[in-house]
Amino acid sequence: MLTKDELGRYDRQIMIRGFGPEGQEKLKRAKVFIAGAGGLGSAAATYLTAVGVGMLRIVDHDRVELSNLNRQVLHWQEDIGKGKGDSAARKLGKLNPEVKIEAIDEMITEANIYQLVAGFDLIVDAMDNLPTRYLLNKVAVEKNIPLFHGAVHGFEGRALTVIPGETACLWCVYRGVTLEGKFPVVGVTPAVIGCIQATEVIKYIVGIGQLLTNRLLVYDGLNMKFAEFKLKKDPNCPHCGELARGKK
Amino acid sequence: MSVRINLHPNLYQFTNDQVIVEVEGRTVGECVNQLVKRFPRVKSMLFDKSGNLLNYVDIYVNGESSYPEELAKPVKDGDEIHITLIIAGG
Repeated sequence: MLTKDELGRYDRQIMIRGFGPEGQEKLKRAKVFIAGAGGLGSAAATYLTAVGVGMLRIVDHDRVELSNLNRQVLHWQEDIGKGKGDSAARKLGKLNPEVKIEAIDEMITEANIYQLVAGFDLIVDAMDNLPTRYLLNKVAVEKNIPLFHGAVHGFEGRALTVIPGETACLWCVYRGVTLEGKFPVVGVTPAVIGCIQATEVIKYIVGIGQLLTNRLLVYDGLNMKFAEFKLKKDPNCPHCGELARGKK
Repeated sequence: MSVRINLHPNLYQFTNDQVIVEVEGRTVGECVNQLVKRFPRVKSMLFDKSGNLLNYVDIYVNGESSYPEELAKPVKDGDEIHITLIIAGG
């Protein structure tokens, strides 16, 4: 049951057709895992906190640096040198004390990922490197946890939702390619993409709208265009293909 | 026979800021070769020294992936090619 305060706080979204108090209660029961408290993570976590998910676990091992502040808006000048997870959790707790926010100061690795995501309903991929994204994808597929992917570079961003067993996964799309080096980015780009990821999470939990599955959405902020590319599950995908399923 | 190539923003610096280039060709490879002929500096962004497409380049024709035989994919008049690059930042 929603409390009087909750009904007040979420009044405007409860008004949305298909949302209602039932949708809000689904959000309240949801446990969302956010991998990364950088640019994407800042935007996604802010709006998932505002919308009233039950619990957020934010995992990030980095310290806040001056060069993060152009885009990682949950971290402020006073946070330089502090852990990003704690910095994010502190702001989010003030935004909405109804949401349980947990920060974990660990690097996501093969050794700890199963334990980190255990008990969580959804994974938001807000990482800054492909190897960890693939690891999240692999575990999401294995554990049947929906994955909400976003990535940015400069004024460009992309997003994709993965429903394990049903839709193309991250490996189907990127095929294990890795990239090196520091990437350019302006803060508004992860804000746009992180909000798209949060939108997908909200829709999935509430059960409304059409998800961004089997479609790669590419945002081009320079020309202010969105393009959409059709995706297919790769039957030979080492994460979600027939061989991978056979190994389980 | 005209095919439009929509370029990735990282390529604009090599195409005099042209975002879309119109070319002619029967395959993606022929179209990309025309692009490279017109803007030679694009080549090193798309191909390795052996002439193979770099693994972070993704090419779509009319919104559908042309992987794995990207360059052999046939195209026809009015088709739209998108050259995209895989990105990873967060």
